[in-house]
Amino acid sequence: MARFSRRKFLQYSGATGMAGILASHRAPVFAQASTVHWIRWNDFVPASDELLRKSILPEAMKALGIKINFETVNANDLQPRITSAIQSGAGPDIVMLNNNHPQLYAASCADVSDVAEAVAKAQGAYYKLARSNSHDGKKFISVPWSVIGAQIAYRKSWFEEVGFSKFPETWEQYRDAGKKLKAKGRPIGQTLGHTFGDSPTFSYPFLWSYGGREVDEKGKLALDSKATVESVRFMTAFWKDAHDEGGLAWDDSNNNRAFLSGTICATLNGASIYIESLRKADQYKTEKGAQLKSDILHAPLPKGPAGQFAMHTFHSHVIPAYSKNQKAAKQFLTWMHTRENYEKWFVSQKGFATPPTPSWEKHKMWDEDPVMAPYRVAGRLGLTPGHAGPSDRKAAEALTKYIITDMYAKAIQGGTPEAAVKWAAGELKSIYG
Amino acid sequence: MLERESALAFWLLVPTLALLTMFIAYPFVRGVWLSLTNSVVGVPGEYIGLKNFVKLWNDSIFRTAALNTFVYTGVTTVFKLALGLWLALLLNRHFRGKAWVRAFILLPFIIPTVLSTLAWKWMFDPTFSVFNWLFWKLSIINARINWLGDPELAMASISAVNIWRGVPFYAISLLAGLQTINQDLHEAAAIDGANRFQRFWYVTWPLLLPVTMVVVLFSVIQTFADFQLVYVLTGGGPANATHLFATYAYQIGIGTGLLSEGAAISLAMFPALLLVVIFQLWYIRRVENR
Amino acid sequence: MIEGAGWKKWLWFYLPMGMFILGLLFPFYWMLVTTLKPDGELYRPWNHPLYSPFWTSAPTFDHIKSLLTETLFGTWMWNTMLIALAATLISLFCGVIAGYALARLRFRWAGLLGTAIFITYLVPQTLLFIPLADIIREYNIGDTPWALILTYPTFLIPFCTWLMMGYFKTIPKELEECARIDGATRWQAMVYIILPIALPGILSAGIFAFTLSWNEFIYALVFLSSPEQKTVPVGVTSELIRGDVFFWGSLMAGALLGSIPVAFVYSFFVEHYVAGMTGSVKG
Repeated sequence: MARFSRRKFLQYSGATGMAGILASHRAPVFAQASTVHWIRWNDFVPASDELLRKSILPEAMKALGIKINFETVNANDLQPRITSAIQSGAGPDIVMLNNNHPQLYAASCADVSDVAEAVAKAQGAYYKLARSNSHDGKKFISVPWSVIGAQIAYRKSWFEEVGFSKFPETWEQYRDAGKKLKAKGRPIGQTLGHTFGDSPTFSYPFLWSYGGREVDEKGKLALDSKATVESVRFMTAFWKDAHDEGGLAWDDSNNNRAFLSGTICATLNGASIYIESLRKADQYKTEKGAQLKSDILHAPLPKGPAGQFAMHTFHSHVIPAYSKNQKAAKQFLTWMHTRENYEKWFVSQKGFATPPTPSWEKHKMWDEDPVMAPYRVAGRLGLTPGHAGPSDRKAAEALTKYIITDMYAKAIQGGTPEAAVKWAAGELKSIYG
Repeated sequence: MLERESALAFWLLVPTLALLTMFIAYPFVRGVWLSLTNSVVGVPGEYIGLKNFVKLWNDSIFRTAALNTFVYTGVTTVFKLALGLWLALLLNRHFRGKAWVRAFILLPFIIPTVLSTLAWKWMFDPTFSVFNWLFWKLSIINARINWLGDPELAMASISAVNIWRGVPFYAISLLAGLQTINQDLHEAAAIDGANRFQRFWYVTWPLLLPVTMVVVLFSVIQTFADFQLVYVLTGGGPANATHLFATYAYQIGIGTGLLSEGAAISLAMFPALLLVVIFQLWYIRRVENR
Repeated sequence: MIEGAGWKKWLWFYLPMGMFILGLLFPFYWMLVTTLKPDGELYRPWNHPLYSPFWTSAPTFDHIKSLLTETLFGTWMWNTMLIALAATLISLFCGVIAGYALARLRFRWAGLLGTAIFITYLVPQTLLFIPLADIIREYNIGDTPWALILTYPTFLIPFCTWLMMGYFKTIPKELEECARIDGATRWQAMVYIILPIALPGILSAGIFAFTLSWNEFIYALVFLSSPEQKTVPVGVTSELIRGDVFFWGSLMAGALLGSIPVAFVYSFFVEHYVAGMTGSVKG
């Protein structure tokens, strides 16, 4: 009998559940003023997301008379989200994407040239890398937002201990320093996993610094070359000598945590490690008890035989074509990019993000902290995936499949450099045709 | 009389058939069609025949994923069966607290896979792993074990979590099977001089075989199509070393937006699965008719 | 019934049993400890002298609080409950009547349909999710609970059908025949005589279907977009993995709290759950 009444309970709750669903399914139809659903990554500088939520967005809602639904997700989930949204025909109205990913969805996104060109007019022409990631040759498919400069964050005192009062300038020197530090239990920490930020910004410039490239100036595939094989050979030895070998499985946050807890001596990253050490100055201490922030400096990636290169993560916003609120979305983006509003967000980033136009290089925020100085010109110096070809759909596909990163990871896991390069060249061929 | 029966049967089966047709049969056909086009997200694409499958055949990551899926399914099934059987034999005895134990050990199977796998991911964390700490304290290791970062270890780790999750299912099902075996048979065998092992092998095991085969069948189907565990634990990494059919299909189809290639990968799973299942069903028939 | 000397009992029974229990339940203990540990303790590396994994000296509810206030965890729970209940009811309805038809009625296609339903079980969700996303969009139910309520039964119904078939087969035919002699129609015989007797089976199937719905992930991952629509598994994995720094506390809190409803329901109906699971295996 007790069983029977439990069964009835289930039935009744099920019925009310159904009623609930129907009700909740109906309600949004009635409450529909213009709502713009904006999705971004979980910012590596949490203060900015808070600023958006607490003051910037409420202001926007008042000024524009629309509702803004702000969502943040893990950056690696932005692509699956937009794919499934486009597939199911419903989803966010403004989507932030990394690097040249907008090129992959160009067919399903609205033309935002009106918004982008207005910003360029008011704030100066976009940096080359911003434009090539956001423009498909005919129109702007996304509105550039920011460039996340990548630099090596390193422990000044530890490098001094092994004889480097200035940060190593070449890969050989970096490997030497790393080897000595790894022997002391303080290896270099770098990810070569499938994560959007730290992996490509490390593997692509590394490849370029040896003279390797995916595509040459004429547009032909050029990966399979002596230069590339050389770079892979060096990386394999470099990894084993000087790196935390767990890095193959790291995502973009592992190196942050490792650095802040004192287990690695240097890592390529955005400025989030330093900014976090500022935010919680008393929680992060060196082994001697000083505040960690006083021991952190930034330096660019070392030089290789073919020079010194960098790739910086680029962020922009697309408006998918399925969106029923395109007008409101464009209005909002325009409002957000006006100088006064964008400036508030930019300042909260403390230099982690660099705006996509040169006029911001003169901003006084850059003068506040000398440790952050290298990030000022990040937008100007970075190259884009697909180099030396354009940062187009094919380059985006290669980037999103992590071919270059995997080339290095494969060689490290075993097998010859030649085999790894051949594999990567084959994968590129099936994309570029 | 027969006519009325079939009329009623028709109406009783209509809801089921409607749902299954709309949401399984129809999508399956569309999936096959999709895999024969070059569709990407937002672009319907055109028919290209078997080109996607040829591309996959030449894709080393796909071959790795296929191999991984078979190895993963095979290895975990063997362990789940062995450990599950052992646990079932232990549970078949009478002891205090038996009901509690039986209820609690099913928890790994009940709790949503994603949530319990997250706990394992934390236990395997490169910097903060509790296992590393334990082995270090016991002086078994000096340097960190890279549970999820070394390709072979990562495969072992995902297998371990799958086994952890599946053992209770095997144990409880086999326990039910054990309890249907007539105790008299055991006593008769004991009287005839058989020792514990012989009793198990010649009496218990053959009678348990039908239940075992069905359990294995279910489990193989689930494990072969596994997605959640690998997605949460390694995402298919490091460097694609732990991809299974399902996770690779997701990465290519939804992650990269290459829907038709993703559909092709998913579809590639089906013939293999079908073969495995047909073989098992044939084996079950054989066992039942013995 | 445990024969043998005392030490043998320990070696052959208590020790292995203890290891099984430890191995199977430790991760849940770990979830609990991590949920209650403050961040400072949580992020000590594995070889730090003060690393104390198995207990915490300063338990805190901060993670649980931040989980409940800073994320939509409550909404996800509600969504998941709703979807699981609705899908279970639909599947039970379809499964019971289909099981009855296949087990008790004689008609030409019985064998074929039974096999067809079995075949659909072989088609994994990971095979269908891409084309299904298209269909979900065409029916205009993308990003709503209906996308899941209508698709979950596809893997729940075959299971419920078999289970019920097994149960119905054990009910003697005489009961129905008596009822029909007394003037009841087939339908009435089914509803008023057979169903009440099969109630334990229905309950078992229902509980099992409920837990399977909670466990579903890939359809929820692909068909749902907005945070307000997400289910617990998808929400916990997608929204608690914030880009940088410190999240394991809330993540484990989410895992723990997310497991509780299922464990709770299960604890009330253990017998039925086990009966359902084993019934399907034997049947």
